[in-house]
Amino acid sequence: MIRRSSLGTLLAAVALLAVGCGSVRTPVDPAPVHDVREPAPASVGGADTSGGGSSSPDCDTRSLSPSSGISAGSTMATIKQRGRLVVGVDQTTYLFGFLNPATGEFEGFDIDIVKQIASALFGDWHNHVQFKAIPSSARESMLSSGQVDVVVRTYSITCDRLKKVNFSSVYYQAGQRVLVEKNSGFTGLNDLRGKKVCAAKASTSLKTLSQSPMRPVPVSVNNWSDCLVMLQQGQVDAVSTDDVILAGMARQDPNLEVVGDRFTQENYGVGIPKGHEDMVRYVNYVLDNVRNGSAWRESYNTWLLSQLGPASPPPVSYQS
Amino acid sequence: MRVVAGRGVDQMTSTAMRPAAPSGPVPEAPVPTPPPETTPSGLAGLLELPATAVRGVIRSARTTPGLLTVIAVGLVVLTLVTGLVGTIMVQQKSSTTEDLIGHREPLAAAAQEIYRSLSDADATAAIAFLITGTEPPELRSRYDQDIARAGAALSRAASDVSSDAAAKVNVINQQLPVYTGLVETARANNRLGYPVGASYLQEASNLMHATILPAAGDLYQIDTAGLESQQSDAWGFPWFAAVLLVGTLAALIATQVYLTRRTNRLLNVGLVVATGAMVLMLLWGSVALVVQAILVGNGQDDGSHPVDVLVRARAAAVQARGDETMTLVARGAGGDYEVDFQKLAPQFTGLLSEAKGLVTGDAANQLQTAIDNANNWLTTHKDLRAKDDGGWYVDAVKEAVDTSVPNSAATSFANVDTALGNAINDGRQSFVDYTDDGAKALTLLAPGVAALAVVAAGGVTIGIRDRLREYR
Repeated sequence: MIRRSSLGTLLAAVALLAVGCGSVRTPVDPAPVHDVREPAPASVGGADTSGGGSSSPDCDTRSLSPSSGISAGSTMATIKQRGRLVVGVDQTTYLFGFLNPATGEFEGFDIDIVKQIASALFGDWHNHVQFKAIPSSARESMLSSGQVDVVVRTYSITCDRLKKVNFSSVYYQAGQRVLVEKNSGFTGLNDLRGKKVCAAKASTSLKTLSQSPMRPVPVSVNNWSDCLVMLQQGQVDAVSTDDVILAGMARQDPNLEVVGDRFTQENYGVGIPKGHEDMVRYVNYVLDNVRNGSAWRESYNTWLLSQLGPASPPPVSYQS
Repeated sequence: MRVVAGRGVDQMTSTAMRPAAPSGPVPEAPVPTPPPETTPSGLAGLLELPATAVRGVIRSARTTPGLLTVIAVGLVVLTLVTGLVGTIMVQQKSSTTEDLIGHREPLAAAAQEIYRSLSDADATAAIAFLITGTEPPELRSRYDQDIARAGAALSRAASDVSSDAAAKVNVINQQLPVYTGLVETARANNRLGYPVGASYLQEASNLMHATILPAAGDLYQIDTAGLESQQSDAWGFPWFAAVLLVGTLAALIATQVYLTRRTNRLLNVGLVVATGAMVLMLLWGSVALVVQAILVGNGQDDGSHPVDVLVRARAAAVQARGDETMTLVARGAGGDYEVDFQKLAPQFTGLLSEAKGLVTGDAANQLQTAIDNANNWLTTHKDLRAKDDGGWYVDAVKEAVDTSVPNSAATSFANVDTALGNAINDGRQSFVDYTDDGAKALTLLAPGVAALAVVAAGGVTIGIRDRLREYR
């Protein structure tokens, strides 16, 4: 027995020595997960100031005077001959331009404007409109390459953009605000210093954010709806853009609210390719009827009244 | 090993020498010295042992009986080692071949199933989004089926312990629940009529294409490479065992030639039996291994190789289908998807015609069905693109997703997918059949080699003992 126990002691001593000499072993990590990142929408980017500037008028942003005439060989005549108006719209901005999943139809305030233009050209818009859902960043290129006749897509009239495309008269006035979680404590852009704020690529909102003295961290995405996804997933702290777009997002999620004052003024116009001045005048003629008749209010009441309260059509003046 | 053998030789030599003892007196002189040599205790004595043994062998080999004994022991050891090496080699080949069917090929199949199921799930989710109103139940169940299959295949793929494959499985395992979560969020929003559903779907699709599918593709490549390398292991030529066997045979024959010259007797029965056993081992082994190698090779040529080509064709087709539907989902902004489709189309038609030269029988019929339907699909695709670009979006969608229309893209694609699935199953069956036959060719070879080696060792012992007796 004594021999055995002394042997045991010796073995224990050797074992301890081995432990002392060798590297310390640790249990195997059963779940080696190092970074868990939220999935991201396609092509998320950062700050970008290519968004065509703010609406501050250091140029003449007024449009050409309206004209209802359709002469042979005009842009409108070509469209009529083709039988359909090709329009660049948004399919993700609730209330302004979106695809109703239940019907598969495009709907919203912008879409109503499209229908008015098509109805003026063809008498009835049904079967005469080809919608193309385009990202914000593709608005100018779709117009200049002639892939669409007009763009009606929360398109702010700015001096930078006027160098590349034509705009109709203003059909809606919006202003940039901030969308946040209801109990986040944020009350406006001033609370968002160093916070992540989402905006669509090549939008004026993104440029305004990038240049804000509050220095928020801009996160840019292809479509406005992607911003809502990122806000819901907690990947950004706020979304900042025109109040109408934010209102549409707040409608889809009761936990969100639009806060702060308008800190820009955005004048929405219909984008039309350079060189199609006849089309600009024609669209302005249609928009005059929309603003002055009942169409504007009907559309506003359908989509925006409950979110934004009563409003009237914007005042318009033309280049002399 | 060598020490033990040496000591054995020493002992045998001394017993054999005692009656004869005609060796010269000179070597006897240092005999008094060994006792102190063997007695040193501890490490020094242990180290001395081999040297002592070698000296003993050399000393005794200077006499004919001593030499005979050395030869006998050498031959016995050689045959037994050959038997051991041969048995282990055959055993390994046999289990490598069995493992091809039981482990390696199922891994590659699981990897391709993951890739296909997930691509198909993604395309199906996109189609469900294209269809207005409530999602049709058959699409819902197809998506569910895809996700379930991918999950089952993942758990099989997870049994591969190689770190490369495990890393890829890890990526897929971590991201797949996130993907399905996003798809369900998209569905919930879609049902509420909120356009943010589309954005969730696109985020899900982005996750699938940017993270999950690349990992699944890598996993398939890793598993296919693993299968191919194990196939070459299975039919590889066993150089070591072969050299050993031929060397043993040569040694046996040389011994008999030496004995015939030395004793003037033509045959030594023991050695002839030993030689016969080794020749039988060589013949049986060569025939069995050649047959096995040919069958495993057939399993690759007619099984796993065409399957690989078909799998790649199917993967390209299902991706192209995803592009086709995403072009429509993106509705006007889907130019990149169409560009991708145009890249994939020649890829899968090319792979299909490549496969044509590789398969026969029923698989060839299935392949022909797939090729015909692929051509229909491409024609329909051109037509539906023209419709979408021309402004007839609703018609384009109908042509793309309606399975009740005979030549719709949905129908043609489904036929391509099913036919390729069948052809792949046929190919896998050929692989299993050939490889299994290959494994069967090695039946009883391992114990056979062991038994023959023992017979040969016995023959050598008896044969040389007979000769040694003549020295008494």
